[in-house]
Amino acid sequence: MSTIAQGAVRPAKPRSDFAALAVLLAGAVALLTGFALPWIVPSKLAMSLLAQSLFDALLATSVGVLILQNGRVSFGQAAFSGLGGYAFGVLVARKLVGAEAALLIALLLPTLLAFLLGLVIARVSGVAHAMLTLAVGQAFYEIAFRWRELAKGDDGMSFDLPARIFGISSRSLQDPAIMLVLTWSILVVVLVGLTLFARSRTGMIAAAIRDNEERSRFLGFSTMVPRALVYAIAAFVAAISGVLQATYNGYIAPQMFHWTVSGFALIMAIIGGAKFIVGPAVGAVVLFYIKDFAGQVAEYWPAIVGGALVVVTLTMPQGIVGLARLLWLRRARR
Amino acid sequence: MTEFALEGAALTRRFGGFVALDGVDIAVKRGEIRGLIGPNGAGKSTLIDVLSGRAKNRGGRVLLNGEDISELSSQQRRKRGMARSFQRTNIFPELTVEQQLRVASWAVADADIAEVMDELNLIALADLPAAEISYGDQRRLDLALALVGRPRVLLLDEPAAGLTTEESFSLARILRDLANRWNVTVLLVEHDMQVVFSICDRISVLHLGRSLSEGTCAEIRINPTVIAAYLGTEA
Repeated sequence: MSTIAQGAVRPAKPRSDFAALAVLLAGAVALLTGFALPWIVPSKLAMSLLAQSLFDALLATSVGVLILQNGRVSFGQAAFSGLGGYAFGVLVARKLVGAEAALLIALLLPTLLAFLLGLVIARVSGVAHAMLTLAVGQAFYEIAFRWRELAKGDDGMSFDLPARIFGISSRSLQDPAIMLVLTWSILVVVLVGLTLFARSRTGMIAAAIRDNEERSRFLGFSTMVPRALVYAIAAFVAAISGVLQATYNGYIAPQMFHWTVSGFALIMAIIGGAKFIVGPAVGAVVLFYIKDFAGQVAEYWPAIVGGALVVVTLTMPQGIVGLARLLWLRRARR
Repeated sequence: MTEFALEGAALTRRFGGFVALDGVDIAVKRGEIRGLIGPNGAGKSTLIDVLSGRAKNRGGRVLLNGEDISELSSQQRRKRGMARSFQRTNIFPELTVEQQLRVASWAVADADIAEVMDELNLIALADLPAAEISYGDQRRLDLALALVGRPRVLLLDEPAAGLTTEESFSLARILRDLANRWNVTVLLVEHDMQVVFSICDRISVLHLGRSLSEGTCAEIRINPTVIAAYLGTEA
């Protein structure tokens, strides 16, 4: 091997270490920014709206992970956020386990289920995959809708949180300012974690399988487990969203599972830029406020949201973050 | 230990009523570059598919260094030292050249990718996504992916397809050189007869799913059956 070859290839590791450090640094700055949000955001109502948009951001991020790492589009990701919220709400309401254990179960149950489902549904792609995820999501919706003994069926169920969870006052978890900081912090940690995962060995193998499954097999990789792992990670992120919503609202309802929730999460991911880890979260916040604004000025607000999607799809094929990146690169070249 | 790195015995493969391979036998000695030629539809790519585990053989056995690997998956065959390339460029378009070679190395005990990048002149392209490099570079990358970890047996399905004459000969030279230095046994399907005759030690000829002939380049050039079935009088 030539000296040139060694020189050209070996620097990859330090460069990669630097990038990982930059991600961690950016995450730390974002975390600190989160603590300032209650002073920046003008009112409790605005804080509440922003916190809810961040719940959506987590769900949209979950949809984005599937697109980015597996190349798969899901119309049923709300199944996992709903399952997280329901598991937490039902276990806490019925006092079957302590709130901390309920939280753990609510996060792990959807994750495990998604891993097992992933081993099956990862084998199909395209429209068939989208339809399968839709079917799974709607199956959960139907169960929650019809099983009244579980959580009062279509009426939904309110529940009281115990006085403290992990030593934190439950009442404070329903305070908009605290929930805003908490959700922001969790979102930042999730985004940093996903970025590091994408750069990890498993993340790179998953990306290779996304790009070319057959070649990956002939390189010697099992292609099912990395794909299923990505489903599990995506479900974990979705479950966090569901648990936070259930905790904040003290209420669960079958609508949490509905395919329209999954559909909106997909729209958010596309608007923000599904090829970027941060894209779906940006899209979620933007779309949340478009929805909020459109709802105030027009009865048929979904038409405005639809129009926004058409505009973004036509003018920004890589979403808002893709456009921002393009503009940044153009400016840097000048 | 057997002198053959790769053996196929009575390999049979049918697609409905069409017999693509009809009891084909092949045995490639360790370190040899074996050419596999024949007209379109002769069963060359099907034979590579059966040997590599892409297609299931409906009869016969595949041996790798004497071990029966007929029932092993393509992943298991790769772990045992068998690699392959494909007729169409089969790379990872969104990963950079270095990223995909690195990923390939993880499947074979963290093999050194620097040597492959160096040998196949890919160093200057390391940071480029594969979709953005030229077709000729993509073909070299395709070959590099198969060569990561120095496989013991390499099955190549038309590696020079679509390349210019100059690129084809450059690729052939690299292949010949690496096969010698790394002691790789190669089974090469190729339509470019100049490439085949310039680097192969022996040649097998398939016709209508059956073995038509086998011999050295000189023997195949003058074999009247092969000339009639495939090469023609120009060869």
